[in-house]
Amino acid sequence: MSQTPRIRGGIGADGPYWDALERGVFQLPRCAGCGAWMWPAHYRCGDCGSWDMEWVPLDPIGTLYTWTRMHQAPVLVRERIEDVPYVTLLAEIPAAGGKRVVGALHGSEDGLAIGVPIRGVFLPPSPKTKGYATLGWEIVR
Amino acid sequence: MSLRGKTAIVGIGQTPYYKRGTAPDPEQKLALRAIVAACEDAGIDPRDIDGFVSYGSERNTGQQMLPALGLRDLRFAALAWTHGGGIPGALTIAAAAIVSGQAEIVVVHRAMAEGSNQRLQVAVTQDETPAQFLVNGVDFILARSAQRAMRLIHEGVPQECFEAIARAGYFHAQNNPGAMGHGHMLTLEAYAASRWIGEPLHLYDCSRESDAAAAVVLVSAERARDLRQKPAYLLSAPMGAGASQGSREDNHEPYTSVGMIGLADRLWRESGYGPSDVDVAQVYENFTPMAAMALIDHGFCTRESAGDVLTFDNLIAPAGKLPINTSGGNIADGFIHGMGLLPEAVRQIRGTSTNQVPGARLSLMTGGPGDSLTSTALLGSDETL
Repeated sequence: MSQTPRIRGGIGADGPYWDALERGVFQLPRCAGCGAWMWPAHYRCGDCGSWDMEWVPLDPIGTLYTWTRMHQAPVLVRERIEDVPYVTLLAEIPAAGGKRVVGALHGSEDGLAIGVPIRGVFLPPSPKTKGYATLGWEIVR
Repeated sequence: MSLRGKTAIVGIGQTPYYKRGTAPDPEQKLALRAIVAACEDAGIDPRDIDGFVSYGSERNTGQQMLPALGLRDLRFAALAWTHGGGIPGALTIAAAAIVSGQAEIVVVHRAMAEGSNQRLQVAVTQDETPAQFLVNGVDFILARSAQRAMRLIHEGVPQECFEAIARAGYFHAQNNPGAMGHGHMLTLEAYAASRWIGEPLHLYDCSRESDAAAAVVLVSAERARDLRQKPAYLLSAPMGAGASQGSREDNHEPYTSVGMIGLADRLWRESGYGPSDVDVAQVYENFTPMAAMALIDHGFCTRESAGDVLTFDNLIAPAGKLPINTSGGNIADGFIHGMGLLPEAVRQIRGTSTNQVPGARLSLMTGGPGDSLTSTALLGSDETL
């Protein structure tokens, strides 16, 4: 894990997601008891009551569920200012029961449309990603 | 036991709206001004206030304001556990306190002044935005709402609905001298030519960030009848999050819902009314598509019929089928985390709006759309009880 201060928002059970991205692994959690996919990660399965999650490595392959082209960088993500306009998106992951992960477009905008296949590219931590290793998503052509 | 009709809003107070960062007073002084104005409107001595409720990241607490208001006995104070989604829910908390005997005169308030706080979009989401959003350049408000709006268009709701909501706000602002958009009529051409903020959101699809404060005073229905203003009775103001909603980080279903489907069901059941009965609505529009989703969640239209229902002519007072945001709303009146919508919902019941819907008896106010926990409220005149 990098030394950058970690982001405090959200539930906070997603540490293994970010740790794995630093190793070049995309993984999402599922309940060890009933197998339900749980994203965002949580501490207990609300369906079966299990406290155990298993993190499942997946191919970073998805479908573009929705997107926006941002023409300004809001205060909380000001470090993206030099990228404006930049495209962010939700990637639907069929292998994880259709769970959706947040991402940014990587590479060309050619073919940008809801429903197109997209593929995750492992990106190292940078100031733009607030020191986190991330997946950039590129359109599969 | 239902809270239906057991309490009423009997006082409303607001400061002027100032461009963010330019208020002549610090934030807490604005809050005090709004609260004192609401008490004067109600004919209540501020010293008799015994409860405060707010929502979101409000920092001006009852205990801090107690000395300046001369309170004799602060008996109840609470914060609704959410952002702009908490406004109607704050009314329910206040009503529950009154009906259960915890307090008698409860203020619901919100104040924002960037000079003594920080930028609203930061103040309300700092340390609350999950990592997967921030590391990808997605703030919790704008980019996230833009993504949802893009999907809504994909599902069949035309951009013209967003434009109609924006133009309705500006249309109403022309009759409201206090609105920040007063004197600035928004034409179709100006809307279309305005810059993108985050596609599909144009500049005019986005709410402002203002310095201002607003407050309302709630008392029991019995007490309300003896006061000087026509009471706006609280018929229902459910708060909550359905099983598929809550903090799911955009994995909620349906994705283009703003979490109000179950709330609306509870609202209509508790109040005994339905969408076709509503005379006027203040619909929280941080962004116009989120307001469209709130109206869909409430059953005013479907994704399929939105293009026919959410038209400029339908959304304007006095003659539209569902006039919305009759003071100008968050977009054209001013934005203090949505709180400006509530006094306007009350004015419609009183018959004192600058864009009055003739004979309005049922007045809706929806809370912040898309909050992980949100709420919605129906106010009514005494004939609706």
